[in-house]
Amino acid sequence: MDELYLDNIDEYVNDHNKIVTYKWLSLTLGVHVNTAKQMLYHYLDHKRKESSAQLHATYLVSGKFVDNGQTSHKVSVVREDQLEDFKAKMSLVVSVHVYSVQRALLRDSGPLYAVDYDAVKDNLKNCSRYSAIHCASAVPMSSVELQQAREVQQAPTPEPENKKAGMNGDTSPVLKSSAKPPKGIMGMFANKSAPKSQDKTKEMKPEKKEDIEAPKSKPVAKANPVANFFGTQTSKKPEKPVKEEEAPQSSSRAAQQLERSKPEEKQETVAPVEPQKDTKKDSRSKTKRLEDSDGEEEKMEKKKRRRIKKPEPDSSDEDVIPDSPQPVVTREPSSPSPKKEVEPDRHSHPSSEMKIRKRRRVMKSHTFVDGDGCMGYSLYVYTQALSCFTCLYLFMRNLCIQGRAGIFCEKCVLSKNALASAQLNFFSLRDLIAAFIFLQV
Amino acid sequence: MTTLTRQDLNFGQVVADILCEFLEVAIHLILYVREVYPSGIFQKRKKYNVPVQMSCHPELNQYIQDTLHCIKPLIEKNDAEKVVVVIMDKEHHPVERFVFEISQPPLLSISSDTLLSHVEQLLRAFILKISVCDAVLNSNPPGCSFTVLVHTRDAATRNMEKVQVIKDFPWIVADEQEVHMQEPRLIPLKTMTSDIVKMQLYVEERAQKT
Repeated sequence: MDELYLDNIDEYVNDHNKIVTYKWLSLTLGVHVNTAKQMLYHYLDHKRKESSAQLHATYLVSGKFVDNGQTSHKVSVVREDQLEDFKAKMSLVVSVHVYSVQRALLRDSGPLYAVDYDAVKDNLKNCSRYSAIHCASAVPMSSVELQQAREVQQAPTPEPENKKAGMNGDTSPVLKSSAKPPKGIMGMFANKSAPKSQDKTKEMKPEKKEDIEAPKSKPVAKANPVANFFGTQTSKKPEKPVKEEEAPQSSSRAAQQLERSKPEEKQETVAPVEPQKDTKKDSRSKTKRLEDSDGEEEKMEKKKRRRIKKPEPDSSDEDVIPDSPQPVVTREPSSPSPKKEVEPDRHSHPSSEMKIRKRRRVMKSHTFVDGDGCMGYSLYVYTQALSCFTCLYLFMRNLCIQGRAGIFCEKCVLSKNALASAQLNFFSLRDLIAAFIFLQV
Repeated sequence: MTTLTRQDLNFGQVVADILCEFLEVAIHLILYVREVYPSGIFQKRKKYNVPVQMSCHPELNQYIQDTLHCIKPLIEKNDAEKVVVVIMDKEHHPVERFVFEISQPPLLSISSDTLLSHVEQLLRAFILKISVCDAVLNSNPPGCSFTVLVHTRDAATRNMEKVQVIKDFPWIVADEQEVHMQEPRLIPLKTMTSDIVKMQLYVEERAQKT
């Protein structure tokens, strides 16, 4: 290999004062990433021997970590001065290579991302040309298959797709399935597989083709039963985006002090984060719908359904009232296990749920800054009935046990107006939304 | 595909908005990289699709925002020639000056649809350059503070003194001591030319800092 590259790298690092990452180098010089890594290593070695200019390097270390008996595989970018410490903590070091070389001592990892951003963006179509990660079955779809896939998705839900603007494409699975409640108990059993595989389709569209075939016929058929199901509520066609569904509900609800705009925006942001867990969630939410269909307003039901869809799977343990696992077992062997965890909670919920529905709950959510200057999310809740308070307390206790929230006031005080209140502090926005939606019912 | 002239105030406002947003991010980043304030008050945020460090301290943020709010009308009218972030040591002698020279071409032409994304790319490069500037600069003595100076064309400051843009946030004419530095060393960082604005960033550094 000729030594010209050493001069090239020297020019980038010293004259232009650039951060040279292996990825940027491979795209700039047109070489395989492993060659780029070796080039950087040799350059570093060469310069260190000469001991001329001061250079700093970062390394990519990957290996196994043991944490409380649990092994995990960790991949990190570390500065050179922290490298040995880091390697010592790992139980097994799988690979170490130079990530970048630069003159400046980087205080944080932000510039490392910024440096590659433009180079990757320019080479988006062939950014993996020099990559070492290959998958033989990951081939781009032919134009015919692409067309078919597009037709399948465009047919059932044209409107939820509108919401894609400003969000990842991944949001559409969640929105779509929440917009398609089942016809009834029997309808649910019949159609349960369709939305689920539809979701999967959306997520894995670029990679797997086999999922596409399954839901092709189903989504179109579903549109009609769903429309009939809602009957009188013509304004709430399932095809409408979730936002519009919320609007009539909020006006009808007693809790008008709710800050509607915020939760809606938050819900939209929650949606893109959940694509991977969709399939699991679907099974549980479907069975939840079964429970709800007894003697409730349709509005409530829709709200509930959406409620289940939106929260994260890990937080839906308390939200979801599991139904008989039979319909679930046939499709997803993994889902019965989360179901079983939820069973114990079931008993406290149905009775309290009934009461909750009839009572008022007023909530305000806002962000706060706690003592350390860290941002958190808090939800201030108060109820007007003692019965509500007990279930509220159970709910909060569950959240605390799961480590997802902190309660600001340990005791919930009953004031003169028989009001019980508490402030829940959440560490993540998702959990706040989940709680918010749950408590609204 | 339209050509606008300087008189089109709407577009002038757009340019001023873009520049002020950028200057806010740049000032925060300079404070972080030059360690004017402890790094604990900074938090990673996203701007121009890359992570940047912004401070969480409310008073500092308010100060920077008020400063830029007052500068904005000057930029709109193309009266601001330079915006300078001066880092001073304990005796209030400047040790470093980050100079943003701004000029706007007389005829603003939006000739391409990708203008704004191109500008974003250029601003991203500025952010990156500031992040690595400590390779070319000597480290500052401890206990530094900072201030922002604006060099204007002609006599635009006369208007500023008459009209207080923000209440209780007066601008005063800078001392000679703050404006000029002894034995400055000039280090250019980045230049950008685009259809809507031309900007140059360089650092004047005092040869002996301690």
